[in-house]
Amino acid sequence: MKGTSQHFRKSAIGGLVLGLTGFLAGYAQAACELKLGVVGTLSGPAAQWGLALKGAVDLVAAEYNAEGGVPVGSEKCRVAVSAFDGKYTAEGAAAGANALVSQGVKFIIGPIGSPEMTGLKPIAARNNLLVMGNGYAKNAIGPQWPLVFHNGPGPSGWADPIVKVAKAKFGIKKVVVVAPNDQGGTDIASVDAVAYKNNGIEAIEEYYQRGTSNFQPIVTRIINMQPDAVDTASSPPGDTGTMAKQLRQAGFQGPIGHLGGPGTEEIARIAGGIDVLKTFYWYEPIVVDEKIQELAAAYKKAFNTDRPESNLFFQWVGAARMVVKAISKAGTITDTQKVAEALRSLPVEDPNLGKGLWIGQEFFGINQELSFPFGIGTIIDGKMQPIVKQPAATGK
Amino acid sequence: MNEFISAGLIGVSLGAQYALLALGFTLIFGILGVVNFAHGGFYVAGGYIAYGFVSHLGVPYVIAVLLATLATGAIGYLFELFLVERIVEDHLATLMLTLGLYLTMSTGVLVAFGPESPQFQFPISGSLQIGKFHLPIENIVVLSICLLAIATVYLLMYKTDFGRALRALADDRQVAAAQGLRPRLLFPLAFGVACGLAGLTGALVTPILSLAPHVGDPVLATSFLIVILGGLGSIGGATIAAFLVGLVEAYSSVYLGGSKGALALFVLVLIVLVVRPSGLFGREVRGA
Repeated sequence: MKGTSQHFRKSAIGGLVLGLTGFLAGYAQAACELKLGVVGTLSGPAAQWGLALKGAVDLVAAEYNAEGGVPVGSEKCRVAVSAFDGKYTAEGAAAGANALVSQGVKFIIGPIGSPEMTGLKPIAARNNLLVMGNGYAKNAIGPQWPLVFHNGPGPSGWADPIVKVAKAKFGIKKVVVVAPNDQGGTDIASVDAVAYKNNGIEAIEEYYQRGTSNFQPIVTRIINMQPDAVDTASSPPGDTGTMAKQLRQAGFQGPIGHLGGPGTEEIARIAGGIDVLKTFYWYEPIVVDEKIQELAAAYKKAFNTDRPESNLFFQWVGAARMVVKAISKAGTITDTQKVAEALRSLPVEDPNLGKGLWIGQEFFGINQELSFPFGIGTIIDGKMQPIVKQPAATGK
Repeated sequence: MNEFISAGLIGVSLGAQYALLALGFTLIFGILGVVNFAHGGFYVAGGYIAYGFVSHLGVPYVIAVLLATLATGAIGYLFELFLVERIVEDHLATLMLTLGLYLTMSTGVLVAFGPESPQFQFPISGSLQIGKFHLPIENIVVLSICLLAIATVYLLMYKTDFGRALRALADDRQVAAAQGLRPRLLFPLAFGVACGLAGLTGALVTPILSLAPHVGDPVLATSFLIVILGGLGSIGGATIAAFLVGLVEAYSSVYLGGSKGALALFVLVLIVLVVRPSGLFGREVRGA
């Protein structure tokens, strides 16, 4: 009887130990959480771009979570997203990065604009964060920031082919490139201006104070320069819409470009419709075909609402997927150096976006810029034209 | 020459809009001694209330503007009556309170309407072409209404008992109260009128520019600059300074460009404040 009792006790203890081990193993597995930080403009004139970024990362997290998580070594880690409004400012993005660091985040998707990139990079460098951002500044990425990647090419990649098309379609001989007078404006407008000049078009750069709400005086100044076209470069959609409306009210008949970022729907809303835009051309980061539409459907299915309006959403899905693939390949959710190495070695390929390239060596001195096929959008005589697909920009 | 006249017209148009905003701001400071950091919020609220009535309820724009003016005035009245009035003597507390109200209002608009600009257009479009000028008709209409509203404020302040009472309270609250004037009754009304002016400006101006939750930020900065330039609490000073700022902004932006133009404006304000620290028409507005 005593032997039976001892045997029972041993069995019970053994069972408890096994159970505890299993519980701890299960707990450890459940505790594996990959935190993706998002820093983007979630309010203000450029909110459309930030909402696209956040929506994309939410979708990628939902995709992996539906499969039980991201395979990392022998584990599957659930993906959690933590977002912060960078307000399109350096200080906002820096505050966001600091807040994410305090939450244990090692990977940041975003930010959106050059001012945000400028503010975020020092925090990222200090804390060894891997960043997949999107500023179009001339120093957005570089050899001094080996953990900072670019989710898509800036104007150095796509301005030249768009200018060639605009020149052929509209016969532009003189253009005024207008943008805000901070790094988010000057770095893009100056690259756009070089692209125009390289194509034999006289280009004048004109800058305004960010926060300007009434552009009538600047519009008057631009019209007095008698340009054939006005390129609003990286001016946010809110500013571009007001400027386009006031340019048309002031009698400007030429084409208006927006070689800086998408947002044509919002621009048209503010201007008063696409008939007010009349003749318009812009950089479209992604050409929405059937494969791309699958992402919109997936978003609708996952969140029961339409995907964010800006087509940057699709580009961000590709970028976020690349980062998560690299994490999985590297087999770590903490060693960002190892993940960066894995990311650099991954071929640029996405089931929805197609095949692309790693570029950036020539312009930035580092080959860490994702380049997928892009599009050129045009409105002619107030009618939206089909987006023309272009091969992935080579940056040369 | 065309350019010069065109810049002048733009400057007057800007000045009228700024004057309407600055009048409300300076009224609140001059009468209550409160720096209303929520002023931009009432501008945004005016725009969104008018937009809501027009787009969601199909109300004609003119009625929507009146309703937006009344609604923002009512919010201002209640805000003063129930919150500001309790701490009206504490300048720092009222500053924080109005700043808090602004953050609440802008976040509320963001949650209710989203961060993107809706389509909110002025009901009249087109431009008058006079020679080489293109003068948008909507700007002429808004300019006329702004001038009318400014004239109404002047009549209210200088030709009515209500205005005289408010000015008496602004001059010396204790003496005015001893004469039988009741600050607890008049202050909320003054606050309501000032906020209604900001709401009216928002309802009028956002359809010709753009409407978004953040558009109150530059409004607050501009109102503050104008009121400081004109002299805190001075109604005449704020009006003249508003037109001065509008003209300087227009001419400097047209002739110097957007960046240097903004710099020219701030340099002008700096010079004025060095020469006249109390502003162009500043005086000791709070004798008590």
